[in-house]
Amino acid sequence: MAILRFLLRRLVLVVPLLLAVVFFTFMLVRIGGQDPVARIAGPTATQGEIETIRSELGLDKPLFAQFAIYLGLVARGDLGRSWISNRPVLSDIVERVPVTLELMLWGVGIGALVGIPVGLFAASRPNRMFDQLSRGISLLGFSIPTYWLGLVMLFVFFYLLDWAPPGMGRVSLMLTPPPRVTGSYLIDGLIAADWEVVHSAAAQLVLPVLCVAIISAAPIIKQTRAIALEVSASDYVRYARAAGLPRRQVQQMVLRNSRTPVITYVGTELTGLVGSTSLIEYVFAWGGLGQYGLNAIIAGDFVAIQGYVLFLAMFSVIVFVVVDLAVMILEPRAALQG
Amino acid sequence: MSGAAESARIALPASGGALAHVIGVARRSPTFVIGAAIILAFAALAVFHPWLMPHDPVRAFPTQVLHAPDAQFWFGTDSNGMDVFSRVIYGAIYAFAIAAPVVVIGMAIGVPIGLFTGYRGGWLDEIVMRFFDALRVFPSIILALAVVAAAGPSLLNVILVLGILDSPVYARVVRAEVLALRANAYVESAVAAGNPTWRILFVHLMPNALQGAMAQSAVRAAWAVRISATLAFLGVGIQPPTPEWGAMIRQGAEYMVTGQWWVGIFPGAALIALVLGLNMLGDGLQDLLDPRRKAATR
Repeated sequence: MAILRFLLRRLVLVVPLLLAVVFFTFMLVRIGGQDPVARIAGPTATQGEIETIRSELGLDKPLFAQFAIYLGLVARGDLGRSWISNRPVLSDIVERVPVTLELMLWGVGIGALVGIPVGLFAASRPNRMFDQLSRGISLLGFSIPTYWLGLVMLFVFFYLLDWAPPGMGRVSLMLTPPPRVTGSYLIDGLIAADWEVVHSAAAQLVLPVLCVAIISAAPIIKQTRAIALEVSASDYVRYARAAGLPRRQVQQMVLRNSRTPVITYVGTELTGLVGSTSLIEYVFAWGGLGQYGLNAIIAGDFVAIQGYVLFLAMFSVIVFVVVDLAVMILEPRAALQG
Repeated sequence: MSGAAESARIALPASGGALAHVIGVARRSPTFVIGAAIILAFAALAVFHPWLMPHDPVRAFPTQVLHAPDAQFWFGTDSNGMDVFSRVIYGAIYAFAIAAPVVVIGMAIGVPIGLFTGYRGGWLDEIVMRFFDALRVFPSIILALAVVAAAGPSLLNVILVLGILDSPVYARVVRAEVLALRANAYVESAVAAGNPTWRILFVHLMPNALQGAMAQSAVRAAWAVRISATLAFLGVGIQPPTPEWGAMIRQGAEYMVTGQWWVGIFPGAALIALVLGLNMLGDGLQDLLDPRRKAATR
């Protein structure tokens, strides 16, 4: 019941946020100094042709009239058509969501699976060798440019060692993609029992997932360590220690009280990693939503940018709701306060 | 714990002599010293570049295209036949020329906003903070890319956009400090003495509220170096053959899978080193400025 009420209240708050995001993006791309029409029309277009395209795209109308038209379309679930490919933006995006999610969830999942224990262990023996080492590694992870890491991976594991396939998409170009069920070639291949596809899709996943895992592990290590240290320094843990509780039990206490903030952190981390994942997609020609968004922004494809940004905002909202729900289940106390 | 805080504050003037001071800092935060050393090394590259570069960074050697590293071209040559070593050195200038103004702009906008919203509170504070929250929905690279692309990609725009986008970071920390400081007696007496608001903000509150923002500045400089290089890598902003690290990695990207690794690896390594230095400096600064953080880890 409490969960239902919580979800309803969230939903009410989300609407103005999404409206603001739509408005903000809409105005941002339009008030900038760039004229997309000239670019779409090409360098040989005459003034007349440019004007025709402008009115076809509705860009000759006043800004707020344009916004009203767009908002009306969005409300009916139509995100418009890309100016460059003339394909409907909504279906283009929906098709790419699982592609990006597959990469991100594997990457962040592995990053968290490695990062959280490392952070916890480092915090349990602060300033010792392992702690210093993990701190150094996480600082390094913060400093590596995502795309460069991807390129180096390709150089080492594809060119030098020939262990990994070239970074060209999600499945070997020689194979036919499996019939679409989930959008993830790995899962769809399993469903279709097409082992060649499964093998190739898994091989294509390894390097980009490794990159996302490395990039996401660094902040997870740092944050987990900081959280666990803070909990260790709290009054109740100090009391437990002073009261002579065995080390094991104290550690368990730290662990249980670190759980919620760590989960919250990994959740926010997930939204922050959208940017890095996009760059990984760009390097590995992954063809997901991230690459779609980057290309739309670089090409000045207004309609596609607007749809992309709207989806980003929705993704953040969903992640935050899921994190809050997880926290509510783990810690009913927080739910009562909220 | 209060003992550690005390010594941190007094140690600086009391220990006497610049050398003793440096040693004191080094003992308390080796991270800070290593970071500072890396940054100084890059600053030296930027300042002394005319004497350090063996070749003109944009001079093409048409017969030496994609030449592997050797005695003449230490880091090899790129697809234009330009010397990668000289270009990596020259790139340090771009890194500093972008990071420094980005930090200054971010502070110049963020600090007054933080001072004002923290001091005044109320609906304005609420609106500004909710706006900053909404901005956080977007990953910074996506936001920066979108705004730079919309504003028109030029070096000046990159600097302005990054500076503006980063100002909420400073506004937040300054606001948090002001919230804590506001209740102090000296603020109250300044109000009672009839000081105008701007004077209270900038003369009485700012000197005490800046510490957190200063501690952030190195980490934010690292962010600026990284993001500006990312923009250049994506081909937005600085274009090849400008000797900027991100643009150089873009140039080297296609040669990574054909074996000419030196075009992209070296500028990336320089980028990592400088960003790592700045991050270490920032990490160390936080330890030094907030001894409790360090003490808590003991």
